[in-house]
Amino acid sequence: MKKLLSILLVLLMVLSLSACGQKEEPAAPAEEGEGKVFHIYAWNEEFKGFFEKYYKVPEGIEVVWTIVPNEGTQYQDALDLALMNQESAAADEKVDMFLAEADYILKYTNSDYTQDIKALGVTNFANTYPYTVEAASDASGVVKGVSFQCCPAGMIYRRSIAEDVLGTSDPDEVQAAVADWAKFDEVAAKCAEKGYLMTSSYAEDYRVFSNNTSSPWVDADNNLQIDPAIQTWMDQAEAYVKNGYTLTSGVWDAETTEQAAKDGKAFCFFGPAWYYNFCMGPAFGADAVAAGTDSVGDWGLCDGPQAFFWGGTWLLAATGSDNPTMLADVMDKFINDEEVCTNLIKNEAQFTNNQAVNNKFAEDPEFGNPYLGGQNDTAVFAEGAKNIKFQNQTIYDQGCNESLQTYFVEYLQGNVTKEEALNNFYKALHEKYPAIKVPEA
Amino acid sequence: MAKGNEKKHRKSVSYAKWAYIFITPFFISYILFTLIPQFLTVYNSFFENYRNGLEQVGPNFVGLGNYIKLLTPDSSGTIDFLRYLGNSLAMWIAGAVPQFLIALLLAVLFTSSRLNLKGQGIAKTIIYMPNLIMASAFSMLVFSLFSNVGPVNKFLIDAGILKEYYNFFATKISVRTIIACMNFIMWFGNTTIVLMAGIMGIDQSLFESANLDGANSLHVFFDITLPLLMPILSYALITSMIGGIQMFDVPQVISNGKGTPNMTSTTVIMMLNNYLGISKNYGMSGALSVMLFIITGILGMLVYRSLARQYKD
Repeated sequence: MKKLLSILLVLLMVLSLSACGQKEEPAAPAEEGEGKVFHIYAWNEEFKGFFEKYYKVPEGIEVVWTIVPNEGTQYQDALDLALMNQESAAADEKVDMFLAEADYILKYTNSDYTQDIKALGVTNFANTYPYTVEAASDASGVVKGVSFQCCPAGMIYRRSIAEDVLGTSDPDEVQAAVADWAKFDEVAAKCAEKGYLMTSSYAEDYRVFSNNTSSPWVDADNNLQIDPAIQTWMDQAEAYVKNGYTLTSGVWDAETTEQAAKDGKAFCFFGPAWYYNFCMGPAFGADAVAAGTDSVGDWGLCDGPQAFFWGGTWLLAATGSDNPTMLADVMDKFINDEEVCTNLIKNEAQFTNNQAVNNKFAEDPEFGNPYLGGQNDTAVFAEGAKNIKFQNQTIYDQGCNESLQTYFVEYLQGNVTKEEALNNFYKALHEKYPAIKVPEA
Repeated sequence: MAKGNEKKHRKSVSYAKWAYIFITPFFISYILFTLIPQFLTVYNSFFENYRNGLEQVGPNFVGLGNYIKLLTPDSSGTIDFLRYLGNSLAMWIAGAVPQFLIALLLAVLFTSSRLNLKGQGIAKTIIYMPNLIMASAFSMLVFSLFSNVGPVNKFLIDAGILKEYYNFFATKISVRTIIACMNFIMWFGNTTIVLMAGIMGIDQSLFESANLDGANSLHVFFDITLPLLMPILSYALITSMIGGIQMFDVPQVISNGKGTPNMTSTTVIMMLNNYLGISKNYGMSGALSVMLFIITGILGMLVYRSLARQYKD
């Protein structure tokens, strides 16, 4: 038995060695005098997957990932600690590159913990969407990173329900029916009459409002302010819950996503490419398809009542990186390399940060997303991406957006008064961010 | 003569020396990892010291400013610190009362020479088991059991008891009951074993003579077991109370760190965690910890006094 095992092991080793030997193109050798370890901080496996598939790591360099979940600022905590120890860390332990989201990117770009990537050699931004560069720049316009994706978002609606309620499932006609919030309300009422839900979470369209605010969460004197757009969202959520147009579960809760499955009742969801391609498991996930409870093909995409973007992952260059050449190369490849960007669209259902490649797919009549019944979503997004502005952001956005939803829903569930809910929101913010001045606390 | 003297001399020196050497590592690690941090906590509580984004604010000396902030009531007159402390204590008491009653009962049953129960070894292992699971893992398990789409709701709906799912995590009473039950399940085995050790330490002849004098089980329990068990019982009660005040992982995981509904499952350590989170607010968390230290001390003293007096009688 032992002998058999050892033979098996030897065989395995030989096989894996020969597999290594078959590599077609040898990767470029590592730059002289630079580090042997490329250290990346991220909050999930998404980019790691793309990186491992489409980026050829120079020979002799080992890529180390530190992945910490995003929720409740855990990721930022871990990252901050690493960045603050950057100077004293051993060369191989220094952070070279880290990922950041729109909600808190400002915190890092406006600090000395990130460095000018133009100085590193990333200079070609001709094809990127201007807002992605703006978001990665500090107050004086120094660019500190790039985004490998662009996240214009839209309304993802259920074709069968649209057919039943509106008599059409055509994206243009559905768009006309929900062109503004008043019309959206009308459709919601019609859906309710037929026993459907308009959305399956009170916060499903939160990002549409929060992305169209006229003022940041915190003013110049650090006073918290609730924008009229957020106010409108609160009123809408209240009315929708009262009328039975939506549920009181959160965007990521199982009750919400289950409404996207075969027998789900929700008319629409809101989000960018990554949302429906990766976060609507009950609708499109492999498990659901295997179990026959999926709803692949029963969906359509249109702009919705207001243009907005949601999320996006930026790659930022950490100050003190000991792999500047590779750092610049990674960033350049993910925005300018046609092959990488084409793979991202074709194989990974991404909407990339390369206008030329995106437009090529947008104009391709053969190209379409099977989830959306073959509709060319890249074409919808290519149009939407033009309208995105990066504005009114603060370093507190993640905390504000998360906490408001958390504590406001208690009011919608009928557990507290509106005043108590807002008070809880203020208190939670004040505990987390002592610098923010909140009303009466 | 000379030889004997030498022997005596050597003996007395070497053993004492070794005793000190053996206990030194404890004191070194205690000073380094407990005593010094404790002094630093007190020191930090007098400073404004936090991070705003990546920018460090302070440390600026503010005297008792942090304590005043912590104990200032808000517009509706509540002091959050005391409210959260109340939450911790309420959830601890709800779990501790059944925990001690059942542990006491089991300890008496297991140690009773009259009953001489079989399968004690297995029973003791099983009741201790829940304590071996990580509290956070246990919380995740319970959370998914009771979630809106979890098996408990599914069962209640399928059995026709409920029409639609009941959100266990949206009402104060159900969240607190779940947390108290979890604490009870995790700790009653541990308490049983501690109390058993206490009971087994009582002189058996006392029980025998009580039996000979015709005392019934109740008499034996209240007049012999309980008074003689008091030192151990008060030890178990005080350590359990300290654990209760420091309750964190179960409510943190159950409420996803939010202390919902309406902050009624927010414990005082969760508040500490919020301070220490993104903004590393050492000033406020220092003040909170010092307050907690004082309050724990006072409560511990009260429990000890009241139990110790009974013991003396």
